[in-house]
Amino acid sequence: MSLLIGALSLGLILSLLALGVFMSFRVFGYADLTAEGSLTLGGAVAAVLLVAGWQPVAATLAGALAGALAGAFTGVLITRFNVARLLAGILTMTSLYSINLRIMAKSVIPLANERSLVSQSEHLGLRIFGAPAISIAGWTVTVRDLGLLILMVVFVALVAAVLLVFLRTNLGAALRATGENPQMMRALGTDDRLMVTFGLALSNGLVALSGALLAQYQGFADVQMGIGMLAWGLASVIIGEALVGSAPMGFTLTGAVMGSLLFRLMVALALRWGLNPNDLKLITAGIVLAAFLLPRAMESFRSKKRMPAHA
Amino acid sequence: MLEIRGIRKTFNPGTPNEVRALQGVSLSLPEGGFTVIIGTNGSGKSTLLNAVAGSFFPDEGTIHIAGNDVTHWPEHKRASLVGRVFQDPFKGTAPGLSIAENLALASLRGQSRGLGKALNAGLRSQIRDTIAGLNMGLEDRIDNAMGSLSGGQRQALTLLMATWLKPRLLLLDEPTAALDPKSADKVTTLAGEIVARDKLTTFMVTHSMQQAAAFGDRLIMMHRGQPIYDISGDDKKRVRPVELLEKFEELRRSELLDEAAAEMLERSYV
Repeated sequence: MSLLIGALSLGLILSLLALGVFMSFRVFGYADLTAEGSLTLGGAVAAVLLVAGWQPVAATLAGALAGALAGAFTGVLITRFNVARLLAGILTMTSLYSINLRIMAKSVIPLANERSLVSQSEHLGLRIFGAPAISIAGWTVTVRDLGLLILMVVFVALVAAVLLVFLRTNLGAALRATGENPQMMRALGTDDRLMVTFGLALSNGLVALSGALLAQYQGFADVQMGIGMLAWGLASVIIGEALVGSAPMGFTLTGAVMGSLLFRLMVALALRWGLNPNDLKLITAGIVLAAFLLPRAMESFRSKKRMPAHA
Repeated sequence: MLEIRGIRKTFNPGTPNEVRALQGVSLSLPEGGFTVIIGTNGSGKSTLLNAVAGSFFPDEGTIHIAGNDVTHWPEHKRASLVGRVFQDPFKGTAPGLSIAENLALASLRGQSRGLGKALNAGLRSQIRDTIAGLNMGLEDRIDNAMGSLSGGQRQALTLLMATWLKPRLLLLDEPTAALDPKSADKVTTLAGEIVARDKLTTFMVTHSMQQAAAFGDRLIMMHRGQPIYDISGDDKKRVRPVELLEKFEELRRSELLDEAAAEMLERSYV
């Protein structure tokens, strides 16, 4: 049970990463590597501020804001200096590694004893359930885990709803259209360079928010915590698309969240059955690769099957 | 309305790929006029239109639209004055957004886009009514993705989008070149109707001699980056597609002559 609750909480936290990757991968059509650096940046900024005694919510949002700045920097590299998109992401990601170390001043900041969203959700859980542990269907669950899960459900639902509403505003629609057809948006009077910069800021803001929450959830910020995270986000987005198909946008966003949850559950189960945690990133990359290759393989399989009918 | 004074543009200057696309073009288009440009491939007709739209800045010369010196305005800033339809029917619309969303974006051409809802009930019904006027049966599909439509349908909608807010200048860059004959007819007719209804100042590039003869009150032929033939009024009304083809033939022959002469000179002196 605590395995399930843990997987769901982590899945929800990483679904914000999935939403951020969705913004770059599906709206702008490419996987922005800045995410690997901005996830750590979000965690690093939040951790340093928590240690300095900031309000957990304020520290978390500050982490997200730092990520948004990193995304905007990549956007400026792309739109003002004509740096290729992939290279711009690599440059920001690499710079962020040093910047994150500067911010943290060491490679790991422990948060277990700091006031954080986790300790606050423990208070919340205690207030709701009145005991440090309760039993659900015969399983003992700590209210700390349960409180955190409730907090994350509310938080992620709120962020996803705001994102969905935003994407349907005039500005949000212009952002989506710019990703598909920048020439059209120039002809309609919108500066596509601003839109790309803003879109990458939004994407990395979400990723860094995820990083800030992840650091608090796992009880430490680690300068390496962003490595491989882009593939995790991509896996979530792709699994989500397999779940909901090419549905209206509301469903696609929900799909990314569901994909993240499902992915975490699968990972938790695989780890429980004895998967070596060191193999996790290899398997994640394998899943993303399979998701890319499978539709094409299915297509050629289908057309091969159709062929004799025509003959 | 549109004042072009002595604009020049050379692409890739100083390289083997140097192209002198515009070589001192001056034109003045009056308010409400419909000017058609024709010309051979590489004559600079589309380049001229793109210079007006702001796709690049000219090396020399100035461009004024509706009294504004727009010579150094970026493309997106000029969009407040200019509506555009591209040769490629897929360039004017966003395939993943719905038909209604595409038109909603066009309803704010040249204006700031804030956090208001992109589609409200009023705009939706306005969009549905306008699209019903196309007689393409699209009014019940306004929530479908733009990408599900044919090139002809998308070009017709691009035309609606470019003129949703009355532009001071409408630029049509071979709007039917990539369409099948039936869709081309439909889009041509629609363009004629909208331009006449809203009395739009229009600047159209075309490859079709039929269109060039049938449309507009002024006809300009471009050759080697310069206008070489400019008729309007009764002369324009009388002109037939055959005569335009003869003009092209004439150009071709003089070019051949130049080449033959150059070859002869080369043979005698090199």
